[in-house]
Amino acid sequence: MIHAQAAVPLGRGRFTELSLLIWVATLAITGFVAVLATETSSFRPTAVVVPAVFLALMLSLHVFLVGIRFRGDQILLPIAAGLTAIGLVLVQRLASDLLLQQLSWSIIAAGAFAATIVVPRDLTALARFKWTWALLGLLLLIAPLLPVIGREINGARIWIKVGPGSIEPWEAVKILLVIFFAAYLEEYREVLSHAQRRIGPFPVPPVPYLVPIVAMWGIAMLVMVFEKDMGATVLFFGIFLAMLFLATGEAFYAIIGLGLLILGGIVAYQLFGHVQARVDTWLRPFDEDLRFGTGYQLVQGLYALANGGLIGVGLGNGMPDRIPIVWSDFVFDAFAEEAGLAGAIALLALYLVFLYRSPASRFPSLPTAARRL
Amino acid sequence: MEITFAVLLWGVRILFLVLLYLFLIRVFSSLQRALATENTIAARPTGLAHLVVQRTVRGAFRVGDRLPLRAVNGLGRDAGNDIVINDEAASAKHALVEFADGEWWVEDAGSTNGTVVNGEVVRSRERLQYGDELAIGRVALRLEQ
Repeated sequence: MIHAQAAVPLGRGRFTELSLLIWVATLAITGFVAVLATETSSFRPTAVVVPAVFLALMLSLHVFLVGIRFRGDQILLPIAAGLTAIGLVLVQRLASDLLLQQLSWSIIAAGAFAATIVVPRDLTALARFKWTWALLGLLLLIAPLLPVIGREINGARIWIKVGPGSIEPWEAVKILLVIFFAAYLEEYREVLSHAQRRIGPFPVPPVPYLVPIVAMWGIAMLVMVFEKDMGATVLFFGIFLAMLFLATGEAFYAIIGLGLLILGGIVAYQLFGHVQARVDTWLRPFDEDLRFGTGYQLVQGLYALANGGLIGVGLGNGMPDRIPIVWSDFVFDAFAEEAGLAGAIALLALYLVFLYRSPASRFPSLPTAARRL
Repeated sequence: MEITFAVLLWGVRILFLVLLYLFLIRVFSSLQRALATENTIAARPTGLAHLVVQRTVRGAFRVGDRLPLRAVNGLGRDAGNDIVINDEAASAKHALVEFADGEWWVEDAGSTNGTVVNGEVVRSRERLQYGDELAIGRVALRLEQ
């Protein structure tokens, strides 16, 4: 064993991670300085307080990883730190009263990150309790519709009241359902992919195994109609179809599912005003009747993007107030206005690398991919 | 005084964009280096070590067969595995044996009958030493150099 270790002398420290984190530090500090200097018309040393706290947090995570001799990836943490730093700069810029809250969440997230590494991973529990996860996910999904705890904000009923604030349970639902899908498909993959009967080129698996698929579609439609959240619907059903395709290798399921989704969409468009409004706003936001109505937010966002140009108008120098709900929905537009196309592309590139580097993309086998999410 | 402040502020704003790109470039170059290292390890020819068949069933291996290992090896009944174990007691994707950080590791891939090392069931991921016996289904394999 000792001699096997000697064969790989490198990898003691995590220098790549450390050097990337130093770049994140410079980025966070210049961002905060630029925003606060614009606001107060002077350079003040207090501008570095928040980035300093955040960087201390990231550095302690780095020291923790070195301390436990963690040998995994060294690029993911700096990218996540960089994205979070840009996020903090934008919170300072757009809704500075939420800055402390945002910082607290970063601390909680850092704790959760460390916990997932330390806590022994008995991942089979995820598969064993799959129906529990599914039930929990469904409850959370339906929770916003319930009378007392549910909340409707800006026409979308996707929040639940918790104490003084409200949370979007959808974020947790996504993860719970991915775990359930993975466990379910892993168990029944063979039945689904080696269907005994075929009608023409189409595999026909035994009816009981199809029930969950149809149920998922029903739930997706329910979410669209009652919670008025198109993004969630498409994402939810899209994840499901992608995993079904991965597990069975049958394009047929994906095609049928897509067809069902489109069909449901068309019917919902005909029946429900809010679905119509969303689609119309997306297709023709500049039209006379939408420009100052449901399309206002979108149009203002587009103008912000245009105003940004190639390199932007400078951090702190834009006009994000012109977008009605900029701080929660259109943060990207605010960033693109102030950092320009250049900044926006760099931001997207960071997300792309993060996605590419995430373990799921390197382990194509479904159980492994889902387990490593 | 006013002018200096404005110039400085613009300097900081532009510096932010420059730093964003320098960070991105560093991320890409780190990624490239990491991928290069990983690819070298993955492409390293088989023969890092061997699994030597100790016990087997009809239709699978013969006792004494030496199965060369790569850096990452999927073991199971599916034809897509690096080491195909033709035993009904093995799951389609049964276990993963990989060489990481200078050591060999075995990880159960959620198999039905479990993966056993030296008589102990593998909980999630365990270190394998040379001479350890790995049992999958009714097949037993010993890690050798």
